[in-house]
Amino acid sequence: MEFVDNLAIGFGVALTPTNLAFAFLGAMVGTLIGVLPGIGPIATIAMLLPLTFHLEPVSGLIMLAGIFYGAQYGGSTTAILVNLPGETSSVVTCIDGHQMARQGRAGSALAVAALSSFFAGCISTGLIAAFAPPLSRIGQSFGAPEYFSLMVLGLVAAVVLAHGSIVKAVAMIVLGLLFGLVGTDGNTGGTRFTFDIRELTDGIDVATLAIGIFGVGEIISNLARPEEQRAVIAKKITRLWPTGDDFRHSWRAVLRGTALGSILGVLPGGGATLSSFAAYALEKKCSSDPSRFGRGAVEGVAAPESANNAGAQTSFIPMLTLGIPGNAVMALMIGALTIHGIQPGPQIMTERPNLFWGMIASMWIGNLMLVVINLPLIGIWVQLLKVPYRFLYLAILLFCAIGVYTVNNSASAVMLAAFFGVVGFVLMKLDCEPAPMILGFVLGPLMEENLRRAMKIAGGDPMIFAQRPISLGLLIAAALLLVIVALPAIRGKREVVFQKG
Amino acid sequence: MSDSGRHAASRLNWNMLARPDVLSGLLFIAIAAFGLWLSRHYPVGTALRMGTGYVPRLLCWILLGLGVIVLIQGMRPTALPLSPSPMAWRAVLSVTAALVTFGLSLERLGLVAAIVLLTGIGALATRALRPLETALAALGLIVLCWAIFIFGLGLTIPVWPEW
Repeated sequence: MEFVDNLAIGFGVALTPTNLAFAFLGAMVGTLIGVLPGIGPIATIAMLLPLTFHLEPVSGLIMLAGIFYGAQYGGSTTAILVNLPGETSSVVTCIDGHQMARQGRAGSALAVAALSSFFAGCISTGLIAAFAPPLSRIGQSFGAPEYFSLMVLGLVAAVVLAHGSIVKAVAMIVLGLLFGLVGTDGNTGGTRFTFDIRELTDGIDVATLAIGIFGVGEIISNLARPEEQRAVIAKKITRLWPTGDDFRHSWRAVLRGTALGSILGVLPGGGATLSSFAAYALEKKCSSDPSRFGRGAVEGVAAPESANNAGAQTSFIPMLTLGIPGNAVMALMIGALTIHGIQPGPQIMTERPNLFWGMIASMWIGNLMLVVINLPLIGIWVQLLKVPYRFLYLAILLFCAIGVYTVNNSASAVMLAAFFGVVGFVLMKLDCEPAPMILGFVLGPLMEENLRRAMKIAGGDPMIFAQRPISLGLLIAAALLLVIVALPAIRGKREVVFQKG
Repeated sequence: MSDSGRHAASRLNWNMLARPDVLSGLLFIAIAAFGLWLSRHYPVGTALRMGTGYVPRLLCWILLGLGVIVLIQGMRPTALPLSPSPMAWRAVLSVTAALVTFGLSLERLGLVAAIVLLTGIGALATRALRPLETALAALGLIVLCWAIFIFGLGLTIPVWPEW
């Protein structure tokens, strides 16, 4: 009955008019930026992060969460109608979704995408509610050595599941850890890497870093490329409901996609993008007639769309229960919590049940709203796609600037964001995925703190990590992951998963 | 060595530098070396009593090692070349300048002037924007920002220049 009681608390919080309004706002903004290529959930959440300071913590988190899963819905619209991924998590949806649209089945494809996202959203909300309490109880028994090892495992897994070169991803994490150390050392009071700049003594704010790297960096990257041609499917979308045939073909794909996405979302480094790629690959394997894929197979829309939504939602589990972010968006969520002085970790569930369960209940409500926002209102989003990027980037740039300024009302933060924008552009140009950097950045101070505590407990003996059974297990798992991924056979497979088609 | 042979050899070296892995390896090494230099006076301490410099220096050494590995990987003949981006300098310069100007002007000249400056300088990033379009965009953004941030959220940002 605990489960029902908890959900009752949650819906009590989520159904207040204010929180309903923020869930709706989040879902709308999420859909908007999901539809628009060139701006993603990381940059948007980073921009709005400082503003949540003025809100109740639970309202702020409800809105930010809505942006994240709302973007998964919106991304599919652009993928289907324009053959451009609105988000990286809808890259594979382009393949079959756009083919369906060209065959005049755009309405069907959009409906399948929205409905499978909704189904996955419902299931994964239930999963969070079911698995979060036991996990956070486990988390509460962890000491400093266990936490340190858990973070090591988390970072290693994030690398393994990221695409591109593993060594570079590790280097990006280390770079993030280093950026995280800028400022005053809480333990000794000494300043580090501050160049004697007063503004840097408090460290770099996570919102400034994220807006710079993902917001400004993305703008520069987009402008440095010639503007792409957008051919929106011009035909009027008539039938916004799947045919019986579509239902028959897709229900198994939705179930498989939801299951796979839910599992991959919980893993550190997982989340929406990986889930959608993996689900598409799995569906092709399971199909009795793989040649249909790439020619408008409805499973090719249903599987990745359910998987990316499931993955987006279950990635909240480690963040909410252990305080460990699995991806860059969750790292920003932790930033949102700390803005309000809430220490992320297993104690959140017991100390702030309203926040915890309210957010989970709002996810289900938000998913319901998203079906409405996406299906009947599809015409509005199609119109938005006609806004050329040359107008859009000015607005994004301005919102980045104001967002950074409001972090702590300082003009110097805007300059810092401009600097990180150039850094972000250079890194993207050099094929260095910046997402692991944000993870390292958020975990850096936490890891140092836990390392210090562990060393104090053990009297300076690093063997403590091997003597505690849980810690040892986590470290062995991390080492195994690294070894496995370095094997040539697996490496080939890993690259295949990230290739589209 | 014939002239054409020497030409090919120099082109090979030049090409090698234009590879993302070579450049990022060098970048990581440079950052690590810079970090080690910056932290040269930070007290390191012992594992039991870690000083300010313990973790930063450890991380810099790790980054240095990783940078070397990336560099070596990039020197393999199979490594991919850098993708071209013709508009990069223009975009980098005008976006950075727009943000810096915005930061400098917001508190002194107010939101309206800062938005005009940001759109004006930011518009130089692309040749696609015509002057009239830029002006309209600035006007639209001023109205939008005033509605959201001043009217809606009640942020205490000066709107007009302070005399």
